[in-house]
Amino acid sequence: MTELFRRVRYLLNRRRYDRELADDMEFHREMAGRDGRNFGSTLRLREEARDAWGWTWLDRFGQDLRYATRVLLKSPGFTLTAVLTLAAGIGVNVAAFGFFDLFALRPLPVREPETILRFQRRSPQNYSTHVSYPALEFYREHSRSLSAVFGLAQTRLALEGRDKLLRADFVTANYLAELGAPITLGNGFDPGSDAAASTQSVVVLSHSLWESQFASDPSIVGKTVRLNERSATVIGVAARTFGGLTSGSTDVWLPILSQPYYFRGSELLTTISEDSVMMWGRLRPGGTPELAEAEMKSLTAELRKKHPSAFWEREYLASEPGGYVMAAQGRQAKGNGSGEHHKQEIYTISALAGCLVMLILAVACGNLGNLLLARGVAREREIAIRVSVGAGRGRLLRQLFTESLLLAMLGSVAGLALGALTLRLLIRNTNAPAWLDPSPDWRMVAFALFIGFAAAMLFGFTPALQIARQRHRATALRQILIGGQVAGSCVLLIVAGLLVRALDRMLYSNPGFEYKQVVAIDPRLVAHGYAPENARSYLRALQDRLRAAPGVASVALATHPPLGRKATVFSSDTDGRLTNIHTNHVDSEFFETMRIPILRGRPFEAGDTQTAVVSESMARRLWPNGDELGKQLPMGATKYTVVGVAGNARAMALEDPDAVECYFLAGAADLPGASVLVRSSVAPESITAMIRTVSKATDPKVTPEIELLRTAFGRRLEGVQRSALAVTLLGGIALLLACLGIVGLVAYAVSQRTKEIGIRMALGAVPTQVLSLVLRQFSRPVVIGLLIGIAGAAALSQLLRRQLYGVSHLDPIAYSAAVAVFAIAAVLASLVPARRALRVNPLDALRHD
Amino acid sequence: MPKIDMPSGALTLLILRVLRSGPLHGYAIAQRIHVLSSDVLRVEEGALYPALQKILLKGWANAEWGISETNRKVRFYRLTPAGRKQLDSELSDYHRVHEAIQSVLRSA
Repeated sequence: MTELFRRVRYLLNRRRYDRELADDMEFHREMAGRDGRNFGSTLRLREEARDAWGWTWLDRFGQDLRYATRVLLKSPGFTLTAVLTLAAGIGVNVAAFGFFDLFALRPLPVREPETILRFQRRSPQNYSTHVSYPALEFYREHSRSLSAVFGLAQTRLALEGRDKLLRADFVTANYLAELGAPITLGNGFDPGSDAAASTQSVVVLSHSLWESQFASDPSIVGKTVRLNERSATVIGVAARTFGGLTSGSTDVWLPILSQPYYFRGSELLTTISEDSVMMWGRLRPGGTPELAEAEMKSLTAELRKKHPSAFWEREYLASEPGGYVMAAQGRQAKGNGSGEHHKQEIYTISALAGCLVMLILAVACGNLGNLLLARGVAREREIAIRVSVGAGRGRLLRQLFTESLLLAMLGSVAGLALGALTLRLLIRNTNAPAWLDPSPDWRMVAFALFIGFAAAMLFGFTPALQIARQRHRATALRQILIGGQVAGSCVLLIVAGLLVRALDRMLYSNPGFEYKQVVAIDPRLVAHGYAPENARSYLRALQDRLRAAPGVASVALATHPPLGRKATVFSSDTDGRLTNIHTNHVDSEFFETMRIPILRGRPFEAGDTQTAVVSESMARRLWPNGDELGKQLPMGATKYTVVGVAGNARAMALEDPDAVECYFLAGAADLPGASVLVRSSVAPESITAMIRTVSKATDPKVTPEIELLRTAFGRRLEGVQRSALAVTLLGGIALLLACLGIVGLVAYAVSQRTKEIGIRMALGAVPTQVLSLVLRQFSRPVVIGLLIGIAGAAALSQLLRRQLYGVSHLDPIAYSAAVAVFAIAAVLASLVPARRALRVNPLDALRHD
Repeated sequence: MPKIDMPSGALTLLILRVLRSGPLHGYAIAQRIHVLSSDVLRVEEGALYPALQKILLKGWANAEWGISETNRKVRFYRLTPAGRKQLDSELSDYHRVHEAIQSVLRSA
């Protein structure tokens, strides 16, 4: 301890201690000189003595750093190229990491996010992301390990004078206060008022809604707005930085107890069998998630005793950190199994994205490594001189590596700026919520520096070793570096090719159903508290009115309208292969309205009981012999008879080739959750106004969501469009870097062999022979790199299989197109400098040195 | 008689030992070792000063200003209590090893 202290003192007072040491040694010399003794270099002896302080490395590092700065300043062209190359490689990584940081690492801007837990229902057989409101109330009353339990129901509300529905969060009264929500104007909800709030019809506006819809009216507090045809008083406006715990942009917050006021007849607050509320809890100081989970488990067991049918066997609440964007991500889902496959999907895609951006960095590093090697040749004289005046190999290596490190740090800074800018542009240009702040935090800075250091190890170390050993003809290393670059950029190009193919397939191939003329109407009868009988009469009335309207070709019902947000997946294990069965409850006109062909058997008929129509892919998977008609299909407790086989309609999961569909005839219990599908015989945009009027005439209390399937399709397309664009951009950068690398290498090879070329030409070599002489040494690494790249892409794209809209991840067109693009670029890149070889004048060449 | 250079571990021990009788400056340390070993051991500058720096850093000795016999201002090294303890432990280690070696040499 004290030794460390002394060491630091030596560092801080280095000058004084050095002077004292010099003085000591000088005196020693004086005395020894009297005895007639000779001695060596004072400077070296002193340096050796100073070694004991343990700071020599720092001195040397300072020296090296100063020298490196001078060297880099002297060749600005090289420095700029190197820093830009690195900035591209590092910037892409920083942007990708920034995304990850924003979504998974950075806590949400709420009070003490680290003590918030999100709870979801689990049992060995089932899962549900939401809980019922009565259950939440029970947990809130009885929990001891949580200081607060809060929750919300997400829904959409119609605001008078606005076509688009609002995103509304019906929250428990303590929600805003518990999250420390900053309020710009007025007040939030009184946290103690859950009992009284039912009579209050109050609303808190989001900052962006206040700006866009109310022109930032400073006297908005106290004014009345009309929501779902009911009046509500604005009591506050949240600050721009507040978004709550849900992803996306919430427009309004309302007390959950006032939900039935806006959705007349809603049973959200009383029914324990409907999961409609997201639930969070805040840990007491010193509490742990394990403790909270254990307590919740025993509370759930108590609930099950009271309501045996509403809770599962061995049910518990699984907790996860709630204060992050990740925890709020994902749609409402309920089903059998563990419910982990959604998460798995996110992880796979993130892993793939990570690999792709790392490839860019690897290509940049390979490029820079070659650049440094070439520079080593130019610095041959300098290195030779330094060796001859006594620089050891280790010292030289350290000096060269310090140069790389300095370059890397410059690259890191430039990359951080580039990455942060990219991230900001991306966030601004997508409909990300306003509170998502893309400016870099310490994690991003640390990441940029770390990546820079790793890059310096990658591109700087081996060349430094080669140069310090004065082995300049390091052809093998060059070839490995160029091969690596080729492989890396090849993988990126192939993945880009696959995504472009997927986009193309999605745009121009038949998804198995006809969506362009169809409008989906979701009356959200569950939210309005419709019982099955009322729902039946409402839907019948609505359908009848629509059928009679002009421009309507046919009308159908479905619990899961194609391309919608809802999905019910039944995972079935057939012969060890997992099949995701997307179930849908439809009426007899569904297949006609969606133009899904019935290939065998028949569609549903009114009066069918316990029948099913399966998609062709499902039939093939379950009954490979083609004798599916009349077979029994067990689904949970009931068995259904297969009456027909429909064409494959990738209506639920466009992108997933493993998804299969299974249809059942919608019964009374399904009706409150059903949507109406209308096929238009005219342009579908022109009938939406008519649909709105008809729905209002049917029941003015119901405010349906109306969407053209074409719009929904566009929304689905956006994701793949964006990723195709991003990966193509990455592939382009990688290709450019690799081509630059090839140009440099070939040019170098030509300049090295000018004399040999001259002699060969003088002896009568023809141009093709000269070219092959120059290019032969590169053909092998390029071909090997290509092969490795193809293999790597085949392995990596495995992860992408479920996102490719049915395009095989080994799609030959994507592979050959990418390889062709690369081959053409590589040939051009090598021919440009190689032409110089043809212009060599034998006479000049022979006179050369 | 050939001059013998010091093994580095032994040098620290010898420096601490000669400092036990009182503070000395660097040159005097070298001289004292040389004389006491009957001119057999010779401490070179290149070994002495790194060893002294190490001793200072470990806190086994302090340096203080004094006047040399040639009337020059120089630094004298003085043993600290920690240095005394270190010397004792190194001495006992040395004796143990020495005796062990001796007994091997005698009996083998």
